[in-house]
Amino acid sequence: MTSLSPQRVLITGVSNPLGAEVARRLAPQVPFLFGCDVADPVSANEEMDFVHADTRQSVIGKLVRRLRIDTVVHLAVIVDSGREDRATHETNVIGTMNVLAGCAGPSSPVRRVVVKSSQAVYGARPDYPSVLAEEMASLSRGDTSITRDLIELEQLAHDFALRNPECRVARLRLGYRIARETSLGRYLSQPLVPTFAGYDPRLQLLAEEDAAEAVVRAALGVQEGVYNVAGDGVVLLSQALAIMGARSVPLLPPYARWASRVAIRSTTGVRVPSHLTELLMFGSVVDCSHLDAEFRWRPVYGSRAAIDLFAQGKSEEVIEAPSPPQEYELQVYLQRRRRERRNGTAGHAALTAGR
Amino acid sequence: MSSRDTAAVYTEAPRERRRNAQNAKVVPAAPRLRLPKAVRRLRRNAPMYAIQGLNELSTRLREVTGREVIDMNRVMELVQFAYQQQQLAKRGPNFTVDEFGFDAEWTESFLPVFKALYRDYWRVETTGMENVPASGRALLVANHAGVLPWDATMIKTAIFVQHRHPRHARALVASLFMGMPFLGWFLRRTGQTVGHPDDTRRLLEQDQLVLVFPEGVRGTGKAYADRYKLRRFGRGGFVSTAIRAGAPIIPVSVVGAEEIYPMIADVPAVAKLMGLPYFPVTPFWPWLGPLGMIPLPSKWRIQFHAPVHVETHPPEAADDQNLVMSLSDQVRDTIQQGLYDNLKLRRGVFV
Repeated sequence: MTSLSPQRVLITGVSNPLGAEVARRLAPQVPFLFGCDVADPVSANEEMDFVHADTRQSVIGKLVRRLRIDTVVHLAVIVDSGREDRATHETNVIGTMNVLAGCAGPSSPVRRVVVKSSQAVYGARPDYPSVLAEEMASLSRGDTSITRDLIELEQLAHDFALRNPECRVARLRLGYRIARETSLGRYLSQPLVPTFAGYDPRLQLLAEEDAAEAVVRAALGVQEGVYNVAGDGVVLLSQALAIMGARSVPLLPPYARWASRVAIRSTTGVRVPSHLTELLMFGSVVDCSHLDAEFRWRPVYGSRAAIDLFAQGKSEEVIEAPSPPQEYELQVYLQRRRRERRNGTAGHAALTAGR
Repeated sequence: MSSRDTAAVYTEAPRERRRNAQNAKVVPAAPRLRLPKAVRRLRRNAPMYAIQGLNELSTRLREVTGREVIDMNRVMELVQFAYQQQQLAKRGPNFTVDEFGFDAEWTESFLPVFKALYRDYWRVETTGMENVPASGRALLVANHAGVLPWDATMIKTAIFVQHRHPRHARALVASLFMGMPFLGWFLRRTGQTVGHPDDTRRLLEQDQLVLVFPEGVRGTGKAYADRYKLRRFGRGGFVSTAIRAGAPIIPVSVVGAEEIYPMIADVPAVAKLMGLPYFPVTPFWPWLGPLGMIPLPSKWRIQFHAPVHVETHPPEAADDQNLVMSLSDQVRDTIQQGLYDNLKLRRGVFV
């Protein structure tokens, strides 16, 4: 019934760079766009109504019902974090649980849920097949905390889809994104890069632009299930470093992952998540044919094109520079004006109730 | 994106770049000692002169002794090897590997080394090369022997050197070795991949030649006394994979690999400590240290048998355990018979 285009879309985690870009791309395509996050948005987007809300609290359910949301894009999932503490786990697992619980039930208006996951859900190990298809995520119980979180949250989304057949759920396993603010991007941008001695992993990269485009297409589409999203082709770490103009220093001990993380952090200042150290040893490549078949779309930038673009400093700026406080004030003002203008037409009281 | 302007790569931020550009000064080139023109020309032409001289010497020696002392073809191969390495170093990051991490150009640059081992060291005699298809998928199934997998390198070299259409066979390796530093990197770069049914299927679907050793480490780790006795072929997983992918199975018998490291004993305690499947003791290892790792120059024979056409079975036959096991036994018997035949044809272990 609601396989028509989405009318009222809620994006969680809208203040992270990916969320901001998704919001920017979705805004002209949907009539009503809402975003929520714990932090203020970094750039002004007057097409979107911003709500301060924490996914770890049960307010999401109320928000969804009051705003009559029909599409939820859940991007408040932390994958690329050097701190693997309770807060990360809570945001990933408890947060997803809360969001899904808010979308569940007969009174829920939600018909479409898109959950962001990551290629990190597979982990990286030498005994895995060279190319990972979607059904292989259950190969292990997860060696690192982020991988375990991702497996758990995907399981939650899967269970939710089974229990709520009227709601279409898509899980996107986004490839390792390379941008200024991701730890992989910062790691590769160092002039001297410590690497593991005797390993040259295969990397599959995803340009930030393609990641946002994939989420937008999933939000507007009706495809269900799990999809790998990563650029075509493979780049070796040594190749990537040569393209970045960096010099690799193969000094990290292969069998002491914890020590290597400390070593990377103390020499380059980059907090590398533990699943990334696995990647830097064994590499990870996924099969995106499922995405291609169902969405009739594949990332525009291959792995090689993504790293070339990043190296040339042309990698599209996903967000503008953090806007000054005036701009945030301006955004609030514009939103209020828009609401006041709309208030004449009935049925938009919910918009004001949101704030 | 292969032809990229390298000058356009900046590692610093724009602001920093501008500041550096402003601070830059024109520095005169350092006065370097410029050698006289004649010396420079000599230096440039030195390799050519050396080859010419060697050629002259080779001709003289042939005239004097009446036989080939310095084989110029081999010398030229060495020169080519050095040249290829130089060319490889020049390509920088501008090359592509496939999704398994295989770098064909890089692999082929090592061929002269393996060719020398193939022709001169183990004097491999290969028969039945016409059974290896020039194109399309096929699963090569071979016996496994020797403590280190030199037999895989020789089968691969045979197909690349002796076949009308040189092809790269892609061997499947135990995941244990793929995780080892340097070794795993080398194996991946030269086209090997993990022995996982999924990888096999994917390679066969790309119409590749896949080389598999169903004996695995049970074959390489057996004692010298058990040589040329095939071990168990697992649960016949390779047959199921071949049926599903619609690829014929080509049995391969390798004679000679058993004698390169005559394994007297296995020390499981040390193997367990080092995380290895076995720790061999040979007459030379570990007594002579790294010297003990030099394989003995036994005489080798490789036979490629007629294909077993398992692709005639429908894909659902892959789940028929009875059929799979009988086909697996058929392949195993062919290889075992091939071993006996070739052992008879070989005059001695080292001649």
